[in-house]
Amino acid sequence: MAEMWITMGPQHPMTHGLWTLRVKVDGETVTDTEAELGYIHRGVEKICESRDFTQITPYCDRLCYVSAMTWAHSYVMAAEDLLGAEVPERAEYIRLMAAEVQRLASHLMWLGAFGPDIGNLTLMTWCLRDREMFLDLLQELGGSRMHYNYPRVGGVKRDIPIGWANRMKAKVKLFENRINEYEMLLDESTIWLVRLQGVGYATAEDQLNAGVTGPNIRAAGVNADARWTNPYSVYDQVDWEPAVEKPTSVKGADCYDRYRVRMEEMRQSCRMLLDAIEKIPGGANTHYQPGDEMLITKAPTRAPEGATGFSTYECTRGVSNFYLQGGGDGRGKNPYRVSIRSPMFITIPYVAKTMIGYKVADIPAIMGSYDPCIGETDR
Amino acid sequence: MGTTVTKEQNSAAVKAIVDNLSERFSDAGITTEAVAHAAGKKFEFVRITCAPEQWRAVAKHLKNEIGVNHCAMVTGTHYPSGGDDRGWEVAYHMHRWPIQDVEAHTMIVHKGENLEGDDIPMEFEIFIPLAAGDSPSVPSVQDLWVGADWNEKETWDLVGIDFEGHDNMHRVLNPHDSPVGFHPLQRQHKIRYHDFNEMYDDPQGFDRKPVDEGRVK
Amino acid sequence: MSDTGENYTTFNSRTLVEIVGDVTDEALKATKIKQLLSVLAGRFFNWAGRKSLFTLHLGIKCCAIEMAASATPRFDGDRFGVLFRSSPRQSDVLLVNGPISKKFADPIVRLWEQMPEPKYCIAMGECAISGGPYYQSYNILEGVDTVIPVDVYIPGCPPRPEALIDGFGKLREKIIRIGGAPSTGRDGDKPVIVGED
Repeated sequence: MAEMWITMGPQHPMTHGLWTLRVKVDGETVTDTEAELGYIHRGVEKICESRDFTQITPYCDRLCYVSAMTWAHSYVMAAEDLLGAEVPERAEYIRLMAAEVQRLASHLMWLGAFGPDIGNLTLMTWCLRDREMFLDLLQELGGSRMHYNYPRVGGVKRDIPIGWANRMKAKVKLFENRINEYEMLLDESTIWLVRLQGVGYATAEDQLNAGVTGPNIRAAGVNADARWTNPYSVYDQVDWEPAVEKPTSVKGADCYDRYRVRMEEMRQSCRMLLDAIEKIPGGANTHYQPGDEMLITKAPTRAPEGATGFSTYECTRGVSNFYLQGGGDGRGKNPYRVSIRSPMFITIPYVAKTMIGYKVADIPAIMGSYDPCIGETDR
Repeated sequence: MGTTVTKEQNSAAVKAIVDNLSERFSDAGITTEAVAHAAGKKFEFVRITCAPEQWRAVAKHLKNEIGVNHCAMVTGTHYPSGGDDRGWEVAYHMHRWPIQDVEAHTMIVHKGENLEGDDIPMEFEIFIPLAAGDSPSVPSVQDLWVGADWNEKETWDLVGIDFEGHDNMHRVLNPHDSPVGFHPLQRQHKIRYHDFNEMYDDPQGFDRKPVDEGRVK
Repeated sequence: MSDTGENYTTFNSRTLVEIVGDVTDEALKATKIKQLLSVLAGRFFNWAGRKSLFTLHLGIKCCAIEMAASATPRFDGDRFGVLFRSSPRQSDVLLVNGPISKKFADPIVRLWEQMPEPKYCIAMGECAISGGPYYQSYNILEGVDTVIPVDVYIPGCPPRPEALIDGFGKLREKIIRIGGAPSTGRDGDKPVIVGED
């Protein structure tokens, strides 16, 4: 039978974003793939050269819109490295809690989009309903449901509101039971298991050489996580473990392992949140005014030419790096160059190659299990 | 408590790597130094500065001897006023992760404090300054780290730095029918309405005075 | 009357329908029933169309997440008839929820052209209205209305799901006014009812 190229995208219900995947099929089997990105390339790196360091934070929220708090945190870490700013400990705890709540919301969005790909439409309603709980928590911090502009260079914008701690604890405890509900729905479902197991094998070393990081490597059997290998914030003082999953076969991790790792990561995030709220300096129910020294330190606003700063950060989808060079317009008020590494930009072409050999119907399963988010890919 | 890599491990690893690289490369004019981050935990990382001709040798040494297994980021920058020998610069950011010789079908649970020697995670920053001119070029490391592949494509697409030996170079973010030679992150290209940018600082005109009548910014 | 080589009756069914149709049409016009039927049918189609706006399943950027959230149990757009369809041939509304880059300008115009009339376009979020935070970018068009005629603009970055549902409400009000007028050259002042001869 002759082979032919099929174009999936850019408008496609499966692709979780705007990109094209061209697959060459021989009957039902995929023999070659090509990924085409760049449909929402906004030139953020160029725009940021004309913006202040505080004006860049909203752009970083919009890079990966599903997990905005982590990207803003990653950027301000690089900006603090460039400008040489200290962060008070209470602000570090607040940033950690905001990042972990965001991780929960992002994994729920992933599951809510992945379930319908496999055919389980119930998951979309359940996961997005539970995600609203955490979006409410983040809205109390940042003001908006999705783009918070909350971490600032040198600390955070405002303190956690009175009662946030109690609301967070109640929601997290409720959510821990909800994870059990999801697993009850999915782990015994034949369709789920048959569609996910045995599909999309990838080993840890292959993935790392190709630049893939994050939960995808932890699904392949190694607990490498930038929160402890390149430690930042107060993750060493909070009680947690990186979620790791033994791969089901010698060929590496399949989609089922990647799904299990993310469920386990949600449990670890819950554990971190309940622990951090006990340990936060200054108490969980005291409210400091914005600008207080417990929340933010005065950071230099200009970076001299020749100064550089970069951050390694564990975002929800992998390791993200920001590399900033100082000495731009306004005598150093703007950066000279902002360079953003997005984990998905490297993962998507790699995943497109792992699909070779499987059937066309396995493409949504493989693609969805890597959790693509095109906003960060296209910058 | 969560597991973590300690400052002592980090300093020890940095020292070992800097010694190794200085011994191997310093007479070729390649500088290696240990630089500390200015914020956060203030861990140290390794910064290498080399010339484009020497990059392949350094890259092979990093991969095979030092164990650098992850190419994170390739950044190209254009310095129109950087002088003759630094008109462009390519910065490679790499990591060493404790994922070496992983046996199939096993699970490895590292404990950060127990890592030693080549397992200690490390960040690397490699600067390659290039001469000013119209055709900056760096040898490609696509065959050593597959992760460098699309990073190099993006750097060529946005900045215009050629990678010698790179297989299948094509536009990745800009449209395929962009004009040849259009690399938007070069400094001569300005963003739209760049003259109006300073209006951001005072968008409602509170600081304007009668003498500013008729002025845009 | 029949084509060469075909062997049925001299009257094929298409011709029959045409003749009967013409005769009936003349009869109805003479008794003014046609005008009544047109107005009633027009009002009925208008009601049916605005109560079931099938939206194209197109997610460009962040506003797409709020579009998805508006379909979830908390906000529930489905009770207003808003259902997402995967194919442009089956949808009425193109909800543009992100910035349009130069690479995507061509596909989105093709999607718009593939949608059958009557069709409406909603620009959701700042990026679709005017380029948003990226209005200075080299790769982003300054608003989707540079390539597609837009009916409703929903501001916000991102607009809350309640704002999106309100935007659909404004579209419904507009449909009452303009009915099924073709999407090129709509003028908003004169009320248009489908079927008025």
